[in-house]
Amino acid sequence: MSDVSKMLSLFRSELVVVNVGPRSFSEVLEKQGYEAVQVDWKPAAGGDKHMQELLEYLGGFE
Amino acid sequence: MPIFTKIQKDRYIDSLETLNQTAVLNDQPGIVSGYVGMATAVFKEVIEEIGLGTPEVQSCTEADYVIAAEADSEEAFENAVKALAGNNASAEETEEKKYYSNIRSAVTEHPRANLCQIAVPGEYALEEVKKALNAGMHCCVFSNNVPLDQEREMKELAREKGLLCMGPDCGVANINGAALVLSSINNRGPFGIVGASGTGIQHVAAILHEAGTGVSQTIGTGGNDLKEPVGGITMLMGIDALEADPETKYIILISRKPADSVLQKMLERIRTMKKPRVVFFMGCDKETIEETGAVWADNLDNCALRALELIGNTYSLGSLEEIKETAKEAVQGMAPEQKYVRAAYTGGTYLDEGMRTMWDVTGGIWSNAPLSSEWKLEGETSKGHTAIDYGEEEFTLGRPHPAIDASIRRPAILKEAADPETAVIVLDFILTPPGHMDPCGYVVPDIIKAQQIAKARGGKIAFVASVLGTTADWQDIRKQEEELREAGVYVCRTNYRAALLASEIIKLRKETA
Repeated sequence: MSDVSKMLSLFRSELVVVNVGPRSFSEVLEKQGYEAVQVDWKPAAGGDKHMQELLEYLGGFE
Repeated sequence: MPIFTKIQKDRYIDSLETLNQTAVLNDQPGIVSGYVGMATAVFKEVIEEIGLGTPEVQSCTEADYVIAAEADSEEAFENAVKALAGNNASAEETEEKKYYSNIRSAVTEHPRANLCQIAVPGEYALEEVKKALNAGMHCCVFSNNVPLDQEREMKELAREKGLLCMGPDCGVANINGAALVLSSINNRGPFGIVGASGTGIQHVAAILHEAGTGVSQTIGTGGNDLKEPVGGITMLMGIDALEADPETKYIILISRKPADSVLQKMLERIRTMKKPRVVFFMGCDKETIEETGAVWADNLDNCALRALELIGNTYSLGSLEEIKETAKEAVQGMAPEQKYVRAAYTGGTYLDEGMRTMWDVTGGIWSNAPLSSEWKLEGETSKGHTAIDYGEEEFTLGRPHPAIDASIRRPAILKEAADPETAVIVLDFILTPPGHMDPCGYVVPDIIKAQQIAKARGGKIAFVASVLGTTADWQDIRKQEEELREAGVYVCRTNYRAALLASEIIKLRKETA
């Protein structure tokens, strides 16, 4: 059995969604009456894989 | 026809936004076909494949935003570009909302955030999920193409923290009444669902809604959860959560057949469950399931009906006799050469269900995702009985799911109608908040045109369809069904029943041949 306390707490709480991805997904949640916080995600270092690895190594991914 | 491109250097637009723009672009007058995106390697590959590639686009970098289209004229292209810009501007101007550039800053300012919905390219999903879990949020991960070892890693971290990790590849989840990702909007009620098939969850929840009851929570695990390398982590956690949740009185489990070792683990857990439960593991025999104390279901319709029986609800989806009567009417006016079924599905679960249902009558069905490999359809032209999944990668690479972008499947109708041997065209429609606002109305002009083509050569095509959704969906299932009926489509209550009707029609065509 897993520890269910956090899952039950989710079910009992007001839903506040952080949406990482297309804005339309945030918009439809708000239209349904839920709070949505939008993260406009884009690949780190402009999608440069080598740079991303370097950044991650340096702990500066965000 | 000439190809035009517009390139904006160093402008980033997220992938689903560019996919939406692609849909808008393709709807503009004078645009034959168009494509919008960031000039990634995949984008360049796709744009070459669909014949819109130019040396200019090939020389772009990943930081460049590209609009490309085959258009009637330069003017048509310029107008379409303006329409896209207008679309963006109005979205940007009306919003005073704050946007964040990363999860950490979003959570710092919104400490009550409790769920993170993640839809980033699969290669970046693990990083984002880890950030969300470390910030204490449950996750719903829509991203797909995540390697199974990474899926395992994110789910183990979630389990360690006692947080739900729905997905990757989770298309349907309904938490506290909110329709996440591509879910339908559902009434709330006593049934909790954990499922490894998004369409499966949505299908069962929609029937419960229709029957006047509803769902407490629906937890999508992603399609790979019950595979060996992942081990059913999310399904097991979902069962634990629903067993402990006082709002959930009954539990429904849905999956394709789990891997053998995972199945054993699942059966052990199901055996110790306290709440009444219905289990539909595709291809699992009755004895195996019933031995655990669960109610066995052998298809999605049946899964919903068995669940309803638990609350004494005798809801019916209609009889086989009705289908036979409809089939008799549907074959009236067909030309002698009309003998084949052509099905154009938007998703794999319904494709599978459709082919399995029709197979006994039709025999082998050609498909891009066939039931057995010898029936693999090569190329784009249907032959004999054919069923195509327009949600497969060959159609959706670099584009959204056909439930969002209805234009992906649209060409199928006239293509199949052009073949004089086509007797039945089967279609499915899926309603969801981010989806097309009128998916059925969108294809009606093509259905009418198809009938004119068939009539001109002395025949008639039977269109058979089902709509997955609810009366609470913004598109309204009743309105969608009505639009189809008005266009002469035989609308069935479920995909299974649509496939049964198609089979009956083919059976009658065989008898008259």
